[in-house]
Amino acid sequence: MQSRMPPQAYIDEAWFARERELLFKPLWQFIGLKVMLDKHNAFITRTLFGIPIVVQNFQGELRAFENVCPHRQNPIQVQPHGVRALFCGYHGWSFDREGATRIPHENALYRFPPEERACIHLRRFALEVVGNLVFVCLAEAPMPIKQQFGAAMLASLTASSLVYDSEVIMTTYEGAFNWKLAYENLRDGHHPRFLHARSLYQDVKFEASISEEGVAGLQRLQQDGIPDRARALGLMRSFSGGGRDAPMAAPPNAPFHAHVARYRDQDWYYNWLAFPNLHIASADGGHSFIVEHHIPVSAGRTDMVVYYLTAKKQQPYAASAAVLHAHMMGADVVLREDIDVMEQIQRTLHPGARSPHLGDYEYINASLEVWYLDLMEGKFAL
Amino acid sequence: MPCKHIIGCGDELARALAVWRVAEPAHDLHSLEIDPAGGEAAIAAALAGVDFTDASAFVAVDARYLNGLRLDVMASLRMRGIAMPALVEPGALVAAGVRVQDNCWIGAGAILQHGCRIGFNTVIGAGAIVGSGASVGHSCWLDDGVVIGRGAQIGAQVTLGLGVVVGHGRQVGKLCIVDKPGRIEADIAAKTFIHATHANPVVIVGA
Repeated sequence: MQSRMPPQAYIDEAWFARERELLFKPLWQFIGLKVMLDKHNAFITRTLFGIPIVVQNFQGELRAFENVCPHRQNPIQVQPHGVRALFCGYHGWSFDREGATRIPHENALYRFPPEERACIHLRRFALEVVGNLVFVCLAEAPMPIKQQFGAAMLASLTASSLVYDSEVIMTTYEGAFNWKLAYENLRDGHHPRFLHARSLYQDVKFEASISEEGVAGLQRLQQDGIPDRARALGLMRSFSGGGRDAPMAAPPNAPFHAHVARYRDQDWYYNWLAFPNLHIASADGGHSFIVEHHIPVSAGRTDMVVYYLTAKKQQPYAASAAVLHAHMMGADVVLREDIDVMEQIQRTLHPGARSPHLGDYEYINASLEVWYLDLMEGKFAL
Repeated sequence: MPCKHIIGCGDELARALAVWRVAEPAHDLHSLEIDPAGGEAAIAAALAGVDFTDASAFVAVDARYLNGLRLDVMASLRMRGIAMPALVEPGALVAAGVRVQDNCWIGAGAILQHGCRIGFNTVIGAGAIVGSGASVGHSCWLDDGVVIGRGAQIGAQVTLGLGVVVGHGRQVGKLCIVDKPGRIEADIAAKTFIHATHANPVVIVGA
């Protein structure tokens, strides 16, 4: 079947701006790991769609704010993560868990009228914690997070992420591709045997297949369209899912496995896809996890923030940093294979580019297209 | 004839054997290959049955696992009470009073200036310079030509790759890798990995 996705969806900045308003702003977006926020004043900062955000721990409670001081708009926290009070280094303004401001020398130097003073506080965003995964929503009236992911997905994310260890290795890849290429790639189970033939596919034999039920569902969707918002939300929930994906070619037996309490006890490749832009996988039967967050930066650029961590250590062991580094560099091979192909595709796109042809095995991506284009065409709103 | 066991893997094992042959021609040298992926069991298997009576040893392993494999092998030998004198290649200049500890390997043409300190099990590549008053922790790996500025502090198990220059007085925390040519003029936190292949540092957070 020929895709309906126009090349503009991948290359046009005006389209990208519309995506921000129609898709990302109403949805819950992953922002970081709770294990990195486990003490008072621990914080992380990220920029989502141009909005700088800080998530800060206040005596155990996590809050999300716009990371901008209301005085002269200096970023309050300037590092990507750390432990520091919410305090602007420019003129010493500080902020409490409500975003309220304490201003040094306020009466002597500022003399704000009461009505203006009442408005001086941080802009706060809704925040939800799912196991060890922290999500924020940029909307003023966020939908319940369960409405986005569904109860089963939330339960699976909670159970799996609660085994995460507190020692985390991370980095950011600056990808020259549109973020949708990442989710399309992740929902394409046929590419690993070719693209990752010498890497991931050596350990896990992914077998793509056609679901006749899925194809029939796609055909009904193409014929009947999406009748209302409730159906649109239901369909959106079906784009998120996770758990066991494929059996491992051989039982995992890395020396560090003896030091961690694994997730479940099955020698499977686990995979979680949280629509729209979060991917979590365990390639060693729940002994360790990779968390990939695809942050759209512009139509042609996506930052991939990648975290790697093991299941909780049963006791500290000397080689844990080496284990994390070695696995991160191992994962780098697979990530670069994916990034290279997505950047290649992005380079082929131009306003007159023809749309791709999808096979029946790609019914999930094809269904996602229908949903996505209906959203972008205003047939429903989130 | 005194006996020395050279224990390690890959190119480093072959290179160490060649250098020891020149440095100590009177020694009876024995090579022991270990499986670098085998963990503690592989180390134990390699050392089992070896007669270390009146023998010394040298561990020749590269920087893999944040220099942890070289450290693990060395620790196994230390527990057996085996002497592991340093290897100082011809042409290295070691200032008076600088102590080169067990299992260090100082490459040809390296310069260790006055008052610097080098931890045990550290490899200083050919032509590298460690400035006066600088300290390099144990089990580090400084590639050929690396320059450590005066008074700089390098933590344990740090790896510095080709073309790295650490500015005077700078600090590099333990378990770091800097494998991107250039001059470091800001302190680097422990467990930070700067690779030429990566646009952004790889960092470990938490413990």
